[in-house]
Amino acid sequence: MGGIMPDFRKIAACTVALSTVFGAAVATAEEKPSIVTVVKVTGENWFTRMEEGVAAYGNDNDTVSTSQIGPGKADAAQQARLIEDLVAKKVSAIAVVPMDAASLEGVLKRAAQRGIKVVTHEADSMKNTLVDIEAFENKAFGARFNEKIAECMGKSGKWTSFVGSLGSLTHVQWADGGAENAKKYPEMELVSEKNESFNDANRAYEKAREILRKYPDIKGFQGGSAIDVIGIGRAVEEAGLQDKTCVFGIGLPKDTGSYLESGAVDGISFWDPKDAGYVMNKVADMVIKGEEIKDGMNLGVPGYEKVSVKKGAGDGIIVVGEAWVDVDKSNYAKYPF
Amino acid sequence: MAFQMDRQLGFLSAVNVAVIVAGATLVGGSFVELYNFQSMASQVPELGFLALGVMLAMISGNGGIDLSGIALANLAGVAAYFLLRDVISADDAPLAFTWSFVGVALAIGLVGGMLNGFLIAQLGLTPIITTLGTQLLFTGLAVVLTNGSALSLGYVEPLDDFGNATILSVPQCFALFLAVAFGIGIVLRYTPFGHRLLLLGNNAKAARYAGIAEKRILFVTYTLCGLLASVAGIVIAARTSSVKWDYGTSYVLIAILIAVMAGVRPEGGYGRVICVVLSATSLQMLSSLFNFMNISNFFRDLAWGVLLLVFVATSGIDVRAWFRAARN
Repeated sequence: MGGIMPDFRKIAACTVALSTVFGAAVATAEEKPSIVTVVKVTGENWFTRMEEGVAAYGNDNDTVSTSQIGPGKADAAQQARLIEDLVAKKVSAIAVVPMDAASLEGVLKRAAQRGIKVVTHEADSMKNTLVDIEAFENKAFGARFNEKIAECMGKSGKWTSFVGSLGSLTHVQWADGGAENAKKYPEMELVSEKNESFNDANRAYEKAREILRKYPDIKGFQGGSAIDVIGIGRAVEEAGLQDKTCVFGIGLPKDTGSYLESGAVDGISFWDPKDAGYVMNKVADMVIKGEEIKDGMNLGVPGYEKVSVKKGAGDGIIVVGEAWVDVDKSNYAKYPF
Repeated sequence: MAFQMDRQLGFLSAVNVAVIVAGATLVGGSFVELYNFQSMASQVPELGFLALGVMLAMISGNGGIDLSGIALANLAGVAAYFLLRDVISADDAPLAFTWSFVGVALAIGLVGGMLNGFLIAQLGLTPIITTLGTQLLFTGLAVVLTNGSALSLGYVEPLDDFGNATILSVPQCFALFLAVAFGIGIVLRYTPFGHRLLLLGNNAKAARYAGIAEKRILFVTYTLCGLLASVAGIVIAARTSSVKWDYGTSYVLIAILIAVMAGVRPEGGYGRVICVVLSATSLQMLSSLFNFMNISNFFRDLAWGVLLLVFVATSGIDVRAWFRAARN
């Protein structure tokens, strides 16, 4: 038992240290309704950009306090634990971008039982959410790519589509949306559709090379995973076909920049996580105040000026915007992610 | 052998108290509310069961470790659901489904643990390499079964209750964790198997000359690790209402951290269950405290690293002697 004495001194020291380090955090604690945004992982460009939107909503509205947290590692378990603690802390609302929707159903149900308002983003299969926010309708997004490809290739010639994998629902929806749109142009011929890149730029590159060998006169490529355009761009660049092909797809400005410059990739689209972060907090705030989100409503953020509302997988609703951002060589540098 | 209050145990109990006191002063009422204690307690078992497995593997000595724990936990959940979903309807017969789920998951844990045990005990392979290999094997199987996506169990009342409901205000899964921990503690302290395991870890050569069946003990130990992992898998399935191959990939290291913080000797031969329990609860409370205070998760990783180093460092210094010297 003799060892206890020094232990207490150690503990006393620990407590003092803890208090000094964290004292500042408590001083700023306030009574306003708090909306906490939980992202998949901290420190990734995409979510760093999202945090700007979260902070912006807090600055614009001083009746609520907003903050963003996320696990240091991209692990669904860590995300669930973070939310677990938020539920115990009893924040007013939680806005989640789930790592894996299914694994959060349990904890979000407990959140609802504690009276916490839950909104989600990119989780249209989620049951335990009041509002899920989607940046756009996936079919329409795919059709939009195709429209650009059609215009670029003069509405005639061979084209193909890529997907991350056939299991990625949204990618397949984009490819199908594109194919449907192409039916408007009888002279466009879809060849070897939905090539799987497995979210790997090298696989996309090899696939694209294969296709260029098989169809030397191919004119159009539609990318599905965010890295597809990178692989396709590299293959096009090596073949020296920058001016003869049209490459469009989802992509991130920073990653795709050099191919946009060389003309190997003609244009990319994405949605701005900053706007998504802002809208999630806006919607959470509306839910806290008990305001209803109606079809055709203007949420005051670019791309969410006229949202459509439909029934969700559970009791909640899905709010769909038209929040795509299209960039090309001329303006990609405006987006720092 | 009576219950002993040693330095590690005293320190860990004090850390637990200190974190609660710090939480009460820094965060206030919401941290020391019953709901939060229940919430924190129900987060412990997932990791706690894995840490108990790591402890047993470490005690067995010869670089004993189990890196395949979380992979086997996920495989147990995935495979149990996969085998049962077309056989028993969770909606029509929730109780039968739950018990079969538990049974199949435990059986998979048993088989996985026996595989580790066979490779390590019979073939004499190095534990760290073996369990790294089986980790990949278990993960791979779970991916193949599910195609990489999560499978949702839906709402199965008895299973959901096990993950979330309480008995006498204690979360059921935490109660089970305490019961299992108590059982392992008894086995280590009072049974011939426990004594032989500790002796084997302490000095394998002496144990061999003393006629201890080394292979059998190692085999049983790693089989137990597998069983504990599958219990963790059941807890995960109950708490998330889903099974997925890559849930908790960060748990491997945290489970080892819990064991080392608990004073389990990585070279083998020593480890106390009660210390592992207290180490797991203190880590959980500290991590929840950080979340309550909006402290970055990167800082938390850093804090755990510092804590680990502090534990390792202080265990090497005889503080009492130092104080005695200072007084004189």
